[in-house]
Amino acid sequence: MTEDILALIKGNVIQGRVTQDDEGFDEGVVGQPGVSELTEKALARGIGLRDIINKGLTEGMDIVGQKFEAKEYYIPDMLASAEAVGAAMEILEPHLAKSGIKSKGKIIVATVEGDLHDIGKNIVSILLRGAGYMVKDLGNDVSPQTIVAAVIEEKPQFVGLSALLTSTMIHMRDTIQALTASGLRDKVKIIIGGAAVSEKFAQSIGADGYGADGFQAVRVTESLSSSKENKGGDHG
Amino acid sequence: MLVIGENINASNRSVAEAIASRDREFLQSLAMAQVTAGADFIDVNSGVGSDSPECEPATMGWLVEVVQEVTDKPLVIDSNSPSVIEAALHKYRGERLMINSVTAELKKLIPIGSLAVERRAWVVALAMGANGIPSSVEGRLAACEQIMTHLTQLGLEAEQIFFDPLILPVAVDSAQGMVTLRSLEQIKSRYPAAKTVLGLSNISYGLPGRSLVNRAFLLMAAYAGLDAVILNPLDAKMMSIIRVADMLTGEDTSCRGYIRAHRRGILVD
Repeated sequence: MTEDILALIKGNVIQGRVTQDDEGFDEGVVGQPGVSELTEKALARGIGLRDIINKGLTEGMDIVGQKFEAKEYYIPDMLASAEAVGAAMEILEPHLAKSGIKSKGKIIVATVEGDLHDIGKNIVSILLRGAGYMVKDLGNDVSPQTIVAAVIEEKPQFVGLSALLTSTMIHMRDTIQALTASGLRDKVKIIIGGAAVSEKFAQSIGADGYGADGFQAVRVTESLSSSKENKGGDHG
Repeated sequence: MLVIGENINASNRSVAEAIASRDREFLQSLAMAQVTAGADFIDVNSGVGSDSPECEPATMGWLVEVVQEVTDKPLVIDSNSPSVIEAALHKYRGERLMINSVTAELKKLIPIGSLAVERRAWVVALAMGANGIPSSVEGRLAACEQIMTHLTQLGLEAEQIFFDPLILPVAVDSAQGMVTLRSLEQIKSRYPAAKTVLGLSNISYGLPGRSLVNRAFLLMAAYAGLDAVILNPLDAKMMSIIRVADMLTGEDTSCRGYIRAHRRGILVD
């Protein structure tokens, strides 16, 4: 029975159905419970939070990522799935707080100075939240100084920087230099993305990772998480 | 509808490379291809080298010289930096020109607006302020109102302003198609002398069949009052739809343009 509900949660994440009224990716499922109803049901049955998150939500989102990469899913499909995961996390939040289960880590995200394009950054934020990270979104046109101040204030493990324009991507370098000058560079892993930038550019400015799309950004964050554990880098 | 050819833009990798290596031939043939395909204006955007923003004005000046060696079509100077625009204007010897673009952000609106007054240039005015693209019609109209007030104070005529109501992808927010269309209608009714322009392709970001979506939206925007469009003129299907739009909105007297295009065999279904 437990397995059934978790499989249904996973399946409905893949379908991108928040509630029973949602259409979903395939036809003919309107009226069947969506991720919200199923999450409530799982809680009522006493299914563990970790199982709901790992075997239901995360496994579902992994498959969404694969389908997106295979170009079977498009951005609206992916956003619907992320929204379903977000709705479930909202239901689970009070229970998580009580049980003392920690998030995977905190990440500050921003579109860099001079750049007002925030769609990509917002998509990455949604996916990171869905993957279990705490995301602090500083918005767009964010100066290096503001990012430095936020790193001091929020003590994140990661900083995600986005730029769409070739004229603003240099501010990623400025931001990294400002973090270095403030002695914060080794406290955070820096991941960049956006239409203007590339893996090569990421390396040239000394970023730790590059995500070509939202799912890659999450994957890079995950892999830097494990390398970070090895190094044990932490805010003192 | 006026067609602004968008291809000479440093955000296209091949163009960035051609600019970096000063490949005149590549850029000139790209300009000519757009003219042949029916572009009325040629947009030029030189971007910046990742290491040297200080070279940007000189690069833009060079690009303007290179393109106008092969065509007399008016250029659209595509930059939001007053110094880059100034460098381009210094090299530009044509009469008609357009500057792309300003927003309601005053620290750029005033210097760029002043350059436009001096050169009697047309100006693309994006319906946004310093905080990004407003998601509502009201927010976009408020930005237009500010721009209109300041540019007319500087001495620009309403006829010289091309308002761009802006497009956010429907893949991310399905209400955005109508936000753009309603903004377009409102701009035309509030400022009848002003013109409108759109960069189309953002509408279909993240969707399959992007060119199909772009073409359909072009028709809807034409009905809502679109005067000019920034796009790839080498897209023959899109250029065909523009001819249809002109005809269906009464801009093509006796359907002559459409029929002529048919006879020349350049209409693509």
